Order: sequence, then C-alpha cells, then structure tokens
Amino acid sequence: MKNESRVIGRRVSRIDATEKVTGSFKYPSDLTMPGLLHAVVLRSPHGHAEIEEIESSAAESLEGVIKVFTAKDVSQELFGEIVKDTPIFAREKVRYYGEPVACVLADSEDVARNAIKKIKVKYKTLPEVFDPSEAMKEEAPLIHDNYPGNIAVEKKAERGDVEKAFAECAVIEKDTFTLPYVHQVPLEPNGCIAFVDERGQLNLYTPNQSPAWLRSRLAELFNLDLFQVRVIQIQGGGGFGGKCPLTIEQICVALALDIKRPVRLVNNREEDFYATWGRVPMKIELELGADKSGKLLAKRSRVIADNGAYSNIAPGVLSTALTRIDSLYRLKNVENIGWLVYTNKIPTGMFRGFGNPQITFTVETLIDRLAARLNIDPGEMRKRNAPCAGDVSVHGWNLKSCGLTECIAICMEESNWNWKGPGKMEKGKKVYRGQGLACCIHVAGNRGVYPSFDGSAAEVRIGPDGGVKVLSGEGEIGCGANTTFAQIAAEILGVEMERIQVPEVDSCYSPFGLGAYASRVTAIGGNAVKNAAENALEQLKEEAACLMGLNKEEIIYEEGRFKSGDKTLTFEEVCREGCYSKGGTTIVGKGTYIPQDVTIADKETLYGNISPSYSFGAQLVDLEIDVETGKVKILDFLAVQDLGRVLNPLGAEGQLEGGVIMGIGYALSEELVLGEKGEVINPRYRDYKIPLAIDSPQVRVKFVETNDPVGPFGAKSVGEPALVPTAPAIANAIFNAVGIKVNSLPITPEKMKMELQKKIRELEEKE
Amino acid sequence: MQIKLSINGQKKNVEINPGDTLLKAIRRLGLTGTKEGCGEGECGACTVLLDGLPINSCLYLAFNAQGKDILTIEGLKGKNGLHPVQKAFVEEGAIQCGYCTPGMVLISKALIDRNPHPTEEEIRNSLSGNLCRCTGYVKIVNAVKRVAEGGKRNEK
Repeated sequence: MKNESRVIGRRVSRIDATEKVTGSFKYPSDLTMPGLLHAVVLRSPHGHAEIEEIESSAAESLEGVIKVFTAKDVSQELFGEIVKDTPIFAREKVRYYGEPVACVLADSEDVARNAIKKIKVKYKTLPEVFDPSEAMKEEAPLIHDNYPGNIAVEKKAERGDVEKAFAECAVIEKDTFTLPYVHQVPLEPNGCIAFVDERGQLNLYTPNQSPAWLRSRLAELFNLDLFQVRVIQIQGGGGFGGKCPLTIEQICVALALDIKRPVRLVNNREEDFYATWGRVPMKIELELGADKSGKLLAKRSRVIADNGAYSNIAPGVLSTALTRIDSLYRLKNVENIGWLVYTNKIPTGMFRGFGNPQITFTVETLIDRLAARLNIDPGEMRKRNAPCAGDVSVHGWNLKSCGLTECIAICMEESNWNWKGPGKMEKGKKVYRGQGLACCIHVAGNRGVYPSFDGSAAEVRIGPDGGVKVLSGEGEIGCGANTTFAQIAAEILGVEMERIQVPEVDSCYSPFGLGAYASRVTAIGGNAVKNAAENALEQLKEEAACLMGLNKEEIIYEEGRFKSGDKTLTFEEVCREGCYSKGGTTIVGKGTYIPQDVTIADKETLYGNISPSYSFGAQLVDLEIDVETGKVKILDFLAVQDLGRVLNPLGAEGQLEGGVIMGIGYALSEELVLGEKGEVINPRYRDYKIPLAIDSPQVRVKFVETNDPVGPFGAKSVGEPALVPTAPAIANAIFNAVGIKVNSLPITPEKMKMELQKKIRELEEKE
Repeated sequence: MQIKLSINGQKKNVEINPGDTLLKAIRRLGLTGTKEGCGEGECGACTVLLDGLPINSCLYLAFNAQGKDILTIEGLKGKNGLHPVQKAFVEEGAIQCGYCTPGMVLISKALIDRNPHPTEEEIRNSLSGNLCRCTGYVKIVNAVKRVAEGGKRNEK
C-alpha cells in the first residue's frame, strides 16, 4: 500500500505543462517543412444541387497555384464507418452546404484562398430537406438514391415485456424532446500535413484522436498497404470527439499522393464548423413509467437522429442513444427504436458523450416529473433504482463496480438539498431559485470499432541511461493521458516522474492502441502501460539477480533499490549494467490488455457487455431564474463522479470542471443555427456562444472511489461522463424553481422568457 | 515592405505585406507560441502585450506595432525560470490542451500587473475575452488567485 500512493493519486502537473505555458509546444497548425504547399477547400454554396460543370482554369492560371483538384482527380472509393457513402469531393451532386467540391493547392494559403474564388461551378439546385421527420416521408427528396425514405440505419433494442410493465405502472410520463446540433469548437481548428517520401511511404502529421484507426481507414480508402502509411499524432488544441472521424485528412492525403510534395490543410474557424462534425441532433419521444414506490418499470423510446448528408460515425451514436441510459438504473423492460435519417445538413459525428447526453437529458428530466407526481424526492427515487456492483443490466452490462448511490447521496448531503416538488410561480415575484439533480452512466471503452478487438498494447523501454520511455498507441489529445501513463509507469517502477518520457504516437514505433474515444484511454491503455511496466520491472529484477549472482526470487525492489540481504543495487546501476552486459540493448517491458468478458453488442438486439467498466456520476445545480430577462444564473454546481480511483486529482478535477462547463453551454447557450440552404448562420465565437469565464460557476468536484477490479489501480473513466448529466440537472432545477418542463435545448433567455410569460398568463387566467 | 519590431526585448527586421496582422508577423518569425483560434478577435488565443497592455494580435496591424514593446509568451520566462503566473498555471493544473494557455497567461499577467490583488469577479471579467474549451476556467481562475495571494498552493 505504501508504494501505491507514491505517485498515483497525487496532484501531479502535466508532463507537457512547461512546454505549453512557455509557448514552445508545437501544435499541428505550428508545423511547417521545406517545400510545403497549402490546400484550401472550395465548399458547396447549396444544400442539395447537381454539379453541372466545374471551370477551374482561371484559378489554375493564378501565380502560385499548383493544381486544382476535383472528384475526378482523387480516389473514387467512398468512406464512412458503417455506411460507406462519403466521397472525398462531391461527384454528381452536393448534399450539404459546405460539402467539399474542389481544392486548390498553392504556394501559400493566401494564394489558395484567393484562387478558390476563381473556380466557377455551375449547379442545378434540387429540392432540399432539413428536418429528419420530413425527410422520412415518402414525398421527401431522396438524398442518396440507394437509401429509400432517407433512412441510413434503423435499429432496435428491446428487452423484457414493455406492454405488461407499463400496465403495472402507477404513473407514466411521456414527452417529446428536441436536442440541438452543437459543435465541439476546439480552440485549435483541425489541420494536418501529409507527404509521400522517396520510398513511396505516405506520412501524415495529425491531431486525430485515433491514429491507428485513421491509418487503417486511409489505407483502405487509397488502396495502400497498411505498412505504407505512417501516422504521427501531434497533440492538437482540443478534440472532444470532433477530431476522431475522417473529416479532412482524406483530402490532404489525396493531394499529397498526387503531387508528391508536402501538403498542409488547416481549417480556419468558419471552415471548422463545416469540416468537423458536431453532436447528432435528435428528436426523442420518451415514455417512462414507475410503480408507486418510485421503482422504474418500463421505458419506451423513439429516436429520430439527424445524420446530416453522410453517415460517418452517427450509426454508432444512434446505438448509444438507444441503449446506454438503460443500464443507469435497474430497468428491466425497455423498447427502443431509432432511425438515423439523411438530411441536407452538415454531417454529424462524435462529440463527448456519443449519444449519451441526448438520451440522458430525456430520461433524467422525466424521472423528476414522475417523482413530482409520486411526491417522492427525486434523489431518493434515483437511489431506489440505482444498481449495485455485481448487477448485470438489461442490456447485459456487467457492473463490476458501481458508486451511483453514494454519488447521489453526496450531492444531496453537500448542497443544502431541499426538494419540495415542482415550483409554482407567484404574481409579482421576480426571481426564483431551484435545485436539480441528474445522473449518468458511461463506458470506459466500447468494443465494436475493430470487429475483433478492443485492447491496447504498450512498451516501457529502459536504456542504459536509466531513462524510461513509455510507448502507447493511445495518444494524447489534451486530457492528460500521457501524464497518467507516466504516473502509472513511475508508480510501478518506483522512479521519479522526471525520468519518464512519453513520446507522441508514431505508427513507425508505437504499439497498437485504438485511441481517445469512448473514454477508454486510462482504463484500457493504462492497464497495458501498467502491465508493460511490471514486465520491465521483472526484467530488471532478473538483471539485478544476475549481477548479484542470485535468483530473481531473492531480490526485493523498493524505493528505487534492488536489495537482497546487505547487497544493494540502484535503479541506475541495474539499468546500466543490465543493458551494457547484453551489448547495450534496451530493456523492453511489453504489456497488453484485452478486456476479458467484453463483447461486441449484438447487431440485431444491441445486447452485450461492451466495456470493461462503467462510470457513474451525479450532478446537482442550484440556480436562479430572472423573470424579466429569462436568464438562468448558476449559483452552485456540484459534480460527483464514481471514476473508480482518482489517479491524478488535478487531471480528474479538470475533466469534470471542463465537462460541466461544456454541459452548461449545451444546456443554456450553444446551438449551430442553419439558414435556409443549410448554411451556418453563426460560424464564429461571437455568435456560437460557448461559456465565458464570467458566465461560468466555480464548479465543486467530489469523487467516489469504488476501486474497480478491472481498471489500472481501480480507475474507470471520467472524460465524457463529466458533461452527460449537466443539462438535465439544469432542466430539473428549472422545473423545481418555476414548474416549467424543458423539452428542448438550449434554454436561451429568449426561450425561457417565453415560457415564463406563458406561465404568468396561465396564472392570470386562473384568477 | 520591411518594418522594425521590438519583440521580447529584441529588435527584429520583419518582411510584411502592408495589411499583415501582428499575429502573422510574429508567427512568421518562428514565435508560434502566439496562437490563432479565430482570426477575428473573439477567442484571445493570439493575445500579446503591447507596452504592457493586452491586445488581440490578429486584429492589430503589424505596421502599427513599430516603436512599441511587444511581449509574447516566449518572452515571459525570465532568467530565474517561469514567471509566477506561468508557475501557478503549471502547478494548479490550469492547462489541458494548452492552446488557450499563452493568451490566458499573458492576459492574467496584465491583470496582476495592473491590479495585484483582484477579486474572483475581477479575474473572471478580465479573462472573458479569452476562451477555453477544456478547463471550464476553474483552475485558471485558481491559478490567478494564487498569484494574487502571493503564490499559496490551493491544495485540496
């Protein structure tokens, strides 16, 4: 135990903090190289139109322009994760405003930006459809010929007997919810550099969150051998899911393969709204029932998910929306049906939570309405339904650890929780206060991306200098994974953090890892690093034993020293002698981790234990509503997370604090507004409102440590779940303050004021 | 055209086009610590100090910066190591992806120089032209508070 707390659990500063705070850290948009060419994409000015002619000679004749690329110049393969429907450049027609139509390659970005204005494209506009419910109708324009009804995917997840269970319910609540299109808006827009070297190998520098996945997708799209593709991850300025799917890399690579010179493609802020795809908007019809004790008996959901014009990763997001919330409580009867529908809008993709924020909003708000009708405290009601460690959920999730009840209890204890039912408005009252609580469950990995695999490999390499290098294929996107990996290795090896380096992911030397999505890196990648460090330590013990002329079993290692009786060798001595006695070789500790009982969810039923562990959280908000302005002011916010074990409080708190504030943006201010052609009306920070420092509360964070039996040192996930319960907690607090049922996000002051005025009119009519 | 800029205490001759922003000129010199997040003066990632005052270098013409002292993030660290604001950011965990960090550090330094003991509201007001999408501002505010309180650690 004394060893366990040496580095793990300590407030450790990020290993890249000094570089970042001095400005020396190089981000993707800082990279350059000799002979670099610059690519700028021409995007469609229509939501749906046939391309009749592209005339690019005027652009090509500009000084500094190397070449103009259109669909005919690049691979004809389509890409997409489950549904392959996306061309690199639009072919016969464009399907959304902003779709890549052509690309100029030039000596400088200024020249390229100027040149795209000279390309003349003749379009014949087609009828557009933007609302997924409309798009499903027979008379709607067809966006892809081979997808009737514009339905890309239809899925179901049904368990138990829902009819019977609803019949047994004492109360049933039903409503329809609309969840908006929100964008990650990372501070650094997406960008990459690609080049083909003299041996014909493709090289790509990218902030992509999943270098290995990206590599295989590119090899497939361009028909290259996997070994011919080298991907080097450069930590970017924020990801949040937006930099996981293939969105711009395929364009950069197509150009580089053709021109055989280095190509740089970096979005500006406006382009990033079109080229990095946000959270899947959903319309969710939800029905939830409970018995009179508050026990949840049945759930029925109908999810219409807006795919946008191409499928990308949204099919997986739909599966999550159909299932994830059902394992948060001991629900046994569920009937979920969902459709992923094409519209003439920017494609949608993955964004922190992956379908979970949308569905959690609906269930968590309906629970409060049920609680109000039953006159049960919503915190108590949630506790009554909370699962325990050892439970197998309705979709087969094996909950090896679960601290949900404790999370809820801490929220209630540490916040002057005083719930007295939904609020009522009074004449003349200008300010109302309310409290709201909401919970969440999330995965730590989600098997199904690579059909046969959701594991990770790592190497801990120790040279004669005593330096330790931790190699993992998971990568760092800003969350602090590399610091966590360094801590894990330092803990196992009993060495100081300064001795450890974690190089960037480079497919040239990094072991395999799937990358930063599904909140998997610490739990899965961390286990691989831990195993690799343990393996390296065993090898060092063998070396020490050899040097001392003893058996390995006789060696004790503590505090950086190998001991046996009165013989002692330091860590450095063993590294030096151990390596040099074998010709200067490096000690390579190898570790792998493949979650043992994890399966791919069944394609038809979505049943299966998809993750090695599951995180739980509860959040409680205390807020104030100003009747005159409609403004919601957060007075206090408490986030409590069961993340198994806190490996680094600085990092874990940071994830929760940042997640909550991002969740407040989702709840109160953020929405991508589209115009009549599907153009983004607000593609800039001025109009797309993420929370500012002055809007944001000083979030309080607490942890429940359930010491998960599977995770490294007991750790589970924290990145995504941090924002999942935030919006419903706020909606519940509004319900608690003024009795208004929030059915759509964001709850802007305008929307809030309209609802408040409606209530006031009702009040006056009653009199 | 060529202009003379004084950046981090050094005189530099810089080749620019007349309309080039200070951000562009600085980055062309290899000082890439100053970031472009929006290019429209809305995110603060490009913050530099001009005669001690924070500006968005993406909105400022390089030409007009002649004769002024420009401080970029690269010039903040002194001979004795990190500036107290930098040190507080590192130790409080105020950095995640770090893309906003150079701007946040400089805007915080400008605040502390002007008002050595700001209240939380003054800190938050001062940081509100600088966006962060990762941290939720909590630890950034804590870091600035810590400097204002003379470097005490906000240990939980």
